[in-house]
Formats: sequence, structure tokens, C-alpha cells
Amino acid sequence: MNEIKKTYKNYVGGKYLRSESGKTFRIALKSEFYEVPLTSRKDVRDAVVAAKKGFTEWQKLTPYNRTQVLYRLSEMLEGNIETYQQILEDSGLSKSKAKEDTKQALDSLIWYAGIADKWEQMTGNLNPVAGEYFNISHQESLGIVFTLNSDENSLNQLLLNILPSLVTGCSVISFNGDNSIMALKLAEDINNSDLPAGALNILSGKFDQIIDDVSNHVEINAMAIYKQLPSTDKKIIRENASKSLKRIFINPPVSGLESLLPFIETKTVWHPKGR
Amino acid sequence: MSLTKETKNTLSWSDTVELIDNLRVDEVGLKERVASLATRSIKKDSKLQALNYIVTMCDLTTLEGEDTEGKIGQMTAKAIRPDPSNIEVPSVAAVCVYPALVSKAKEMTKNSNVKVASVSSYFPSGQAPLESKILDTQFAIDQGADEIDIVINRKAFFEGDYRKMYDEIVALKEVCSSVHLKTILEVGELRTYENIKKASLISLAAGSDFIKTSTGKISDGSSREACYLMAKSVWDYKEVTGFKAGIKVAGGIRDSKDAIRYLVIVNEELGSDWLNPDYFRFGASSLVDDVLKQIKKLKTNAYQSGYYFPRG
Repeated sequence: MNEIKKTYKNYVGGKYLRSESGKTFRIALKSEFYEVPLTSRKDVRDAVVAAKKGFTEWQKLTPYNRTQVLYRLSEMLEGNIETYQQILEDSGLSKSKAKEDTKQALDSLIWYAGIADKWEQMTGNLNPVAGEYFNISHQESLGIVFTLNSDENSLNQLLLNILPSLVTGCSVISFNGDNSIMALKLAEDINNSDLPAGALNILSGKFDQIIDDVSNHVEINAMAIYKQLPSTDKKIIRENASKSLKRIFINPPVSGLESLLPFIETKTVWHPKGR
Repeated sequence: MSLTKETKNTLSWSDTVELIDNLRVDEVGLKERVASLATRSIKKDSKLQALNYIVTMCDLTTLEGEDTEGKIGQMTAKAIRPDPSNIEVPSVAAVCVYPALVSKAKEMTKNSNVKVASVSSYFPSGQAPLESKILDTQFAIDQGADEIDIVINRKAFFEGDYRKMYDEIVALKEVCSSVHLKTILEVGELRTYENIKKASLISLAAGSDFIKTSTGKISDGSSREACYLMAKSVWDYKEVTGFKAGIKVAGGIRDSKDAIRYLVIVNEELGSDWLNPDYFRFGASSLVDDVLKQIKKLKTNAYQSGYYFPRG
């Protein structure tokens, strides 16, 4: 029987889409080539519209519920773990390294699923004030986050680039380059994990083609760059982002509670407590 | 056809019957024409002009049971100065509210060019006796409304009693002699293209200054096909009577791209004479938000977010 070859597509607003431009770029896997979507500027704007809706829906879930959704993602992932190992091997990892990486990926996912309903009480607090008030630092998620993921051939790294912003309740537009096949494969399990449409969108392409549109787009609240970029690119991003209140995080932390901090915002609440 | 013009813009019932007799609409041709008009590419400078036109043609609308004077105050402020950060953006044409809120809207807009439109005649269903509709309309006018948006009697229309529908509009036009009368067809309920054209012509013959697509209260709002047919009806009516009526599209028009496509239809079918707020209007609540975003995008080259623009 002939093997049916897969067409990898972008995942936007809960749907698998080709680039509206019809363009693709080539990624080699083992001895074969795959054509994956070359995301256009219009695709990015559409993803922002989807992420805006996704943010509202993702926010509606209780943190406990978000934990359950991410835990479900880990179940889906585990069920397909061999496919991920195969992609890692086909992209050049040894069998044992591939196995090790997927194991770590599952551990990471479980850790982030667990923290989804705990980060708020860990990062917020009651502040001491000299008066008849409670003063509370209440934590909120930032909004729409664009992540430029690392090109490393690793499922674990991919998840560590996506999850920190996602667990805080942000909606995420995850942009991938050389690691696109892995990311677009992950989209299939995301689709089966009860994540609201648009909460996590996965795109593949060349970042230098969309750098201006993304960094200028006022609706994107933050950009997290997990990939090494030339200093000229960083300059463009910082200049464009300065025109709105967009946050830029270049190579932010990828593990622990620290990794969540860039994506949360503190609101201070005063409340009278009486004598 | 031997038609006698009764007044400036009305036709007698017998002439109206002649006008709506044997109406046919070529559905395939209509859809193809409308689709082809949607493919026009609008370049940057023309786009900016179109966007500014759209703002001046907007009836900023809120028609909810929960409307309060505070909400009307907020909306009229936005109507007068849609984008406080850019004084080049013009005021909208009008605000559209329920009769009970007309006086508040009137008070807020007194030092501006923004008009106050009121829906009446038991909007959105129109299921009330004519006497009540007249009272409803008279009240809105007494409160100071400059324009009145009525609904056609769909009950009479679907029962085939076109005469009753015509007579009601004539009666309401009498009340509205000093103000602009817009007649809402509710195209989403009319079901066939022939019905849209028929209702358009009857409404025009009965003395409407404008015909309007929808109430915005049902899921099937305006469509470009309906707008095209209404434009054709306005043209046909002008050929017969010499009277230039206007069109208002409302219901479900949320983005600039869609709005520009409506402008293309009006420009192509009626000509640029119709491209001003005296003859063409958009009834919308969220369209202005998107238009403001697009105008700013053209200026700054950055796609915008809603939270930098006024609410209302």
C-alpha cells in the first residue's frame, strides 16, 4: 500500500488553513521534502483576529478548567508520542535522544498544566499598607502574545516556547521556522484537547517577511522571541513596538514560574477593611 | 406607461400598481453582477477617501431596550468627534435612537451638524394599528427628530394587501411632512428578490425619502444583492417621477471592506450624485470602529486595536 503523504497546514482559529497567498516553503525530513505554508502578512492579520476571539474564550474558562484542558493535551500528546519521536528522528536526532526529548516534553506539559491554576496566588499578594485598607496585587494576563519559536529540533523546546504565555490565559500566535513540521503536527493534538478556537494559533514561515507587520500591529500585546535574531531585527522590532504599548521579550526564561512573569500584568486593588 | 405625478415624490395607487405589475428579477445575472462589483481593487488614496465618505454617511445607531441617557450621551459625543486624536475625521451623519431618547440626543447634538434619527411605527415589528404608529411617529417628531425610520407593514405585505402597506406609508409621510422619512423593508424577511424590488417601489411611490434594508434586529441583515436591487428601484423610480430617493443599508455591515463594496454598487448603478449623506447612509453600530482603525492604519502603517478609540 502506498503511504499517504501529509499536507501540513497552518492552524488558525481552530481551522487548518493554507496560506491565503498559496505560497509554501520546503522543509526536508529524512530523505523527503515537505511543503509547508509560507505565512503571508495577511495570514498574520487573520491570525490576530482569531487570537482576539480566542482570548475572550480562553479567559472565560476558570484557571482550574485551563489546567484540565492542558492536561487533556498531554493525554493526546502521549497517545501520539511515537509520531513525534519519528519526526525528531527524521530531522536528525538519534532514537534515544528523540525518546528522551518527548519524555521531557510530556513532563514540561504536565508541569505547566499544573501551574495554570496556581500562578496567580504565587505571584499576587496582599501588600502591607498603613491604613484601613486591604491592598491586593491582582494578576491578569496580558492579552495576545506572538511567540517566535526556536528552530531547535525538539518537541520540549517548542512547548516551552508556547506554554508560558498560554497558561497565563493569553492567546498565542506561535510562529515557527525550521521546526514547523513539529509545530503543525502539534496543532492536530491541540485541536483535540478542548482548547477554545483561536486561543493557540500555529503558523509556519519566514519571520523576516512578516517582521514589520507583527511588530507594528497594535492589537498584539506582546512579542516573545525565543529564537536568536540578528541585532538589526531586534532593532526593527523594538522601534516598531515603541509606537504602541507592545511588550518585547527577547529570549525570556523558558522554565519555572519565572517563565510566566513576562505575560502577566499587576492590577492593584484597594479595599476598605474597617477597624 | 401614462403616469400622473401627484406631488413631488409620490405616485397614485393605480400608477403604483402599474409599476409593480409583472416584476421579474434575473437571479443569476444579479448575483454575478454584484459579485463582479465586489472584485474592484481600491487603491490607497481612493480608499482613504472612501473611508472618510463612510464616516460622513454613518448613522451611529443604538436600538436596545437597555439604552440609557448616559449611553446616548456617550454615543453622540463619538458621533460628533469620532476620533479625538485625528480632527480630520469628519462627524457622522446622524445618530439613530428610539423615540424616548430623541430629546437627549437632540440636546447633545445641538451645536453640531449631526442629525437625530428616530425609529418609529412600532419598530422593529410594526405590528400595531396605524393610529398607534402615527402617535409613535408624532411623538418622535415632537421630541425633535430630524429623520424618521419606519418599518413597512410586513403583515400586510405577506397577506398580499399591498394597498394597506402603501396607505400606511402615505399616512405616516403626512405626519413626517417636515422631516426625512426612511422606510425599512427588512429584506431578510422578504425572502425573494422580486419581493425586495416590489417593496422598494411601493415604499418609494408612497412618499419615502429613503428606503432602508433592515432593522438590524434579525440575523439576515443587509446584503449587497438587496442594496443593488434597491438602487435599481431608486433608478427606475427616478426615471418615472424624476425624484431622487436615497438608500440606507443597515444590519450586519461591520467592516470597512464590506462598506466600500456597497459604495461601489451605489457609484456604479446610480452614479456619484448618490455618494453623499443626503442620498446614501450606513446604519451601523460597530462599522465606524473598524473604519477609524483603517484610517489610522493608512496613516501609520500599523494595524490598530479597538481600545485606542472611543466606545459608544
